[in-house]
Amino acid sequence: MRFMEARPDGRAVVYAHIQADPLVARAADLLADATTTQRLLARAVMNGESLDPAVWRTMFPTLFGPAAPAPGDPVRDRSEAVLHASLQVADRGDQTRSQFRGAIVEAITERLLAVRTGPVRRERRILFDGRPAEIHPYDVTVERDGAAEAWDCKWGARGIKADVLHQLDDARRGAADESGRLLVGLVVFDARRSSEIRLVRERGPVAIDSVKLIALEGLDRLAGRKPA
Amino acid sequence: MITTIADLIDRALGGFDVLTVTAEPVEDEYQYVTDLGTVWRARLRTVATARGTEPAPPGTDAAITALVDEAARITDPHHAIDWLSTLPQVALAALGEPA
Repeated sequence: MRFMEARPDGRAVVYAHIQADPLVARAADLLADATTTQRLLARAVMNGESLDPAVWRTMFPTLFGPAAPAPGDPVRDRSEAVLHASLQVADRGDQTRSQFRGAIVEAITERLLAVRTGPVRRERRILFDGRPAEIHPYDVTVERDGAAEAWDCKWGARGIKADVLHQLDDARRGAADESGRLLVGLVVFDARRSSEIRLVRERGPVAIDSVKLIALEGLDRLAGRKPA
Repeated sequence: MITTIADLIDRALGGFDVLTVTAEPVEDEYQYVTDLGTVWRARLRTVATARGTEPAPPGTDAAITALVDEAARITDPHHAIDWLSTLPQVALAALGEPA
């Protein structure tokens, strides 16, 4: 099993500009250490229509209401920062917003994995002897001898599709054929409940237990820690 | 009259129903939309059963109103499907419940 750089196509070149945007890094830095409710705030705002911060503060009383930490408290400040960054993403056009959201999930995944293990890489292909290589790279990989991992990242549960599951499972089987071990999984910035029903419908011939699912409520597991 | 948690969940479910109608034109996702309705309505009703008679905690009445208003702004069927997963999570978070 070998990891290698993906050959950039046109889509990748355009997407690389999105990935390199400072807003992606700022949002990912904030969300990597956020609580589940702060992450949900980001999901709602980046999916939403309203650009008025007051609407979102009203909608999340546990973050901004009378019983929430007061302004100046680090948790409250992070909630405000998450709201601000998320509104900046929401203010982009529909297609750009979608690309930003995907890039943010990948960047969060990269950061959280790096807390637990490494080296962590982005946009890599995995090659196996005697097998044709998959065309699409894996979003995030851990290239550690004996404990390699390959993750595909999705903004929402709707992104879970049969071809994604097939590619992950194929890599896992390729590693097993070489007597290697490759943990494969999906990181979904959406509720576990929504992700599981999608996974069950889309799995096709893939053994569902062979693909690890990390949903919004469990993102901290990537870092080897309990949800905040 | 005191607003209860059951009242808030009824309103959240009303917002969910509106999203379901908005999502209807996406025929390829009919099964997923149906599945979302099954699991999230059940989750919200579980909370209503357990805590329905409790008075709404401070801020939650306005929170659910803002949430349902936001859902009503969604006109794109694909966005509506995204919100069919988002709305229940936000409603539950407002009530201090896990998704």
